[in-house]
Amino acid sequence: MNTIGTTVGPTRRHLLTLAGLAATAATLPGCGRGFGGGDDDDGRIEINMVWWGDAQRAEFTQKSLDLFQTANPGIRVRTEYQDSSPYKDKLAARFAAGDPPDLMAMRFDSLREYADRGTLLDLAKHAGALDLTGLTEPARALGQVGPQIFGVPSGLNTISFVVDKAITDRYGVSIPDGDTWTWADLSEFAAAVTKASGGKVYGANFEPWTVANLLVFARQRGEDFFTADGRLGATAGTITAWFELTEGLRAAKAFPPAGFIDQNNGASPAQSYLAKKSIASQIIPSNNLLGYNQACGGNLVMLRIPGETARRGQSIDTPALWSIAATSKHPDETLKLLNFLINDVEAARVAGATRGVPPNRKIAEQIAPDLDADNKRATEFLTALQNEKLPPSYPYPVGASKLTNILKTISTEVEFGRLKPAAAGERFITEARKEING
Amino acid sequence: MTAIRRQDRAGYLFLLPWFGGMLFMIVPFFASLYLAFTDYDLLTAPTWAGLDNFRRMFDDAKLHQSLKVTITYTVVSVPLSLIVALAVAMVLDRGVRGLAIYRSVYYLPSLLAGSVAIVMLWRYIFGYNGIVNDFLAWFGIQGPGWASDPRYALSTLILLHVWTFGSPMVIFLAGLRQIPAMYYEAASMDGASGWRQFRSITLPLLSPIIFFNLVQALIASFQTFTQGYVISNGTGGPGESTLFYNLYLYQKGFAEFDMGYASAMAWLLLVIIAGFTAVNFLAARFWVFYDN
Repeated sequence: MNTIGTTVGPTRRHLLTLAGLAATAATLPGCGRGFGGGDDDDGRIEINMVWWGDAQRAEFTQKSLDLFQTANPGIRVRTEYQDSSPYKDKLAARFAAGDPPDLMAMRFDSLREYADRGTLLDLAKHAGALDLTGLTEPARALGQVGPQIFGVPSGLNTISFVVDKAITDRYGVSIPDGDTWTWADLSEFAAAVTKASGGKVYGANFEPWTVANLLVFARQRGEDFFTADGRLGATAGTITAWFELTEGLRAAKAFPPAGFIDQNNGASPAQSYLAKKSIASQIIPSNNLLGYNQACGGNLVMLRIPGETARRGQSIDTPALWSIAATSKHPDETLKLLNFLINDVEAARVAGATRGVPPNRKIAEQIAPDLDADNKRATEFLTALQNEKLPPSYPYPVGASKLTNILKTISTEVEFGRLKPAAAGERFITEARKEING
Repeated sequence: MTAIRRQDRAGYLFLLPWFGGMLFMIVPFFASLYLAFTDYDLLTAPTWAGLDNFRRMFDDAKLHQSLKVTITYTVVSVPLSLIVALAVAMVLDRGVRGLAIYRSVYYLPSLLAGSVAIVMLWRYIFGYNGIVNDFLAWFGIQGPGWASDPRYALSTLILLHVWTFGSPMVIFLAGLRQIPAMYYEAASMDGASGWRQFRSITLPLLSPIIFFNLVQALIASFQTFTQGYVISNGTGGPGESTLFYNLYLYQKGFAEFDMGYASAMAWLLLVIIAGFTAVNFLAARFWVFYDN
């Protein structure tokens, strides 16, 4: 240490130390989350792939990428991942800077923002390189805009209601039949949990501002939230009914009181109110069962969304689409990677169900026996739905990505009693119409 | 002569990084001025839109809300934090043992408060099940979610701002040290009370420092972003209660593909800040006292 103070200029020891550090640094890339800097002169083509998610998903993703790079020694995949909300902003900035990633996870609600502006590769024109024949028609439709295809589902999922059985057992409340329960059953069940626990645990909570939740509710009432031709199909009456439902749950003490839930609490399962045991049930994307069940102690039961008996609301969706930038310098290699992720059985096997059930149905069946218990449960849940007749799901119209913020603001106003559900319905429709033409 | 020139050279050398930095400022500066008059969605080339962006501002309710939030925040938190800073500086000026330690302790928050970690911590302290409400529960009071209730969220952020009184405090402390002790001695001899001495000696002689701090704090406060972004995860929520001007600008530019409008907003902010600062300088003629 004291050599720093006494010697001027680099000594041999310094140089050796530096060389040592450099050697260490050279071994570091491979950790996956690097931000470039690797040398390009080894003759390999580098493609950049970005997505959102947590460390667990990164680990699974990296396993498939390792397989790809072993099979294709001429290609190096440089990956970056982060949380979903900053991801969205960063992706836009990268396009603006003229430096879009080659392969990217695309939010379902943003696909057309990008596609309609010509920034994404039309995958339908590359059917030779990218084989989408293994996907079912509803799965393919998720990334389809007219005759063009701008995204491929990275996996299939749907929303589901999870209940912590450890809590309901402790307070002696029985869980309703998830295939037939109604919204009234939910209210009764959740209120019973709150009551039996003496207010220590609230029976349920879900986000009123999540478009995917509201979409299911609208379909159950016979309305398409977004119509097939890209317009807003929901009526003010449905939005009003939605808020009457959530406020009814709050009034019945099935939901926690206003202000209890910090809507910006963070997205990870470990941060969730379910993991903190302050609520007994909530809505989650089905592909997140593994993460939530680990965070909650392993007793989660998975139910369908209430109210599915009369008219179906649930649909098969995707947590994220894979898209390729139109200006990618290496479209062939990127297509090859995407094709590998979708159609290679080993790639799917090591990735498990972190992005849901593989969109290629044959592969989904092949890997199903190897999945761990939670992923298997989530897969069976989705497969059962897939075998029923469900309403189709298709890309949201341009402007749809702004609706979450509008809903968030309005639902807060409703939660604190500053806006009545009837007024909230009107206000939502007025504001949403401004963002979505028609 | 040569000595001076050499000194000049050193001066320019020290300025060099600033000139370098200016290059990175000037290009975006003019680019944003141009973009303010265009329709630009980030993904396709901007198209000329004339004054459209500025016209849209008149009936953009969210913009008005963001101005309301920002101005409320500024008007309440700036004077409050300056008063606290001055009060603490005067206590420390009395000659406390271990002044350096106190000074550092009080200064620390201003280094940290803009940081993400502190705002996160703040959220936990003021959450529905946070420490503040645990404390209130001892008295049988169920407090609200101080950060999740739209009625209180902004006040919580104002409190956070006031807590960062450290940097104006250090400047006040230096200013107080400049006031010759003989004025106070003379006043004491004439029988002036402590309050009287504060009013007639401290305040007038400190007024240039107060003015400096005021201008600084006002400008910084108009540019608030991090606190609002972190406490609401970028949404400006709960409700639109923490929708700071810069946060809305960011949303427009990066989340809503409306960079032309966001650029126009940046220029409006520049005009607003310039306006407030100009008023400040004009008013200063009537209350700032220069001793020399």
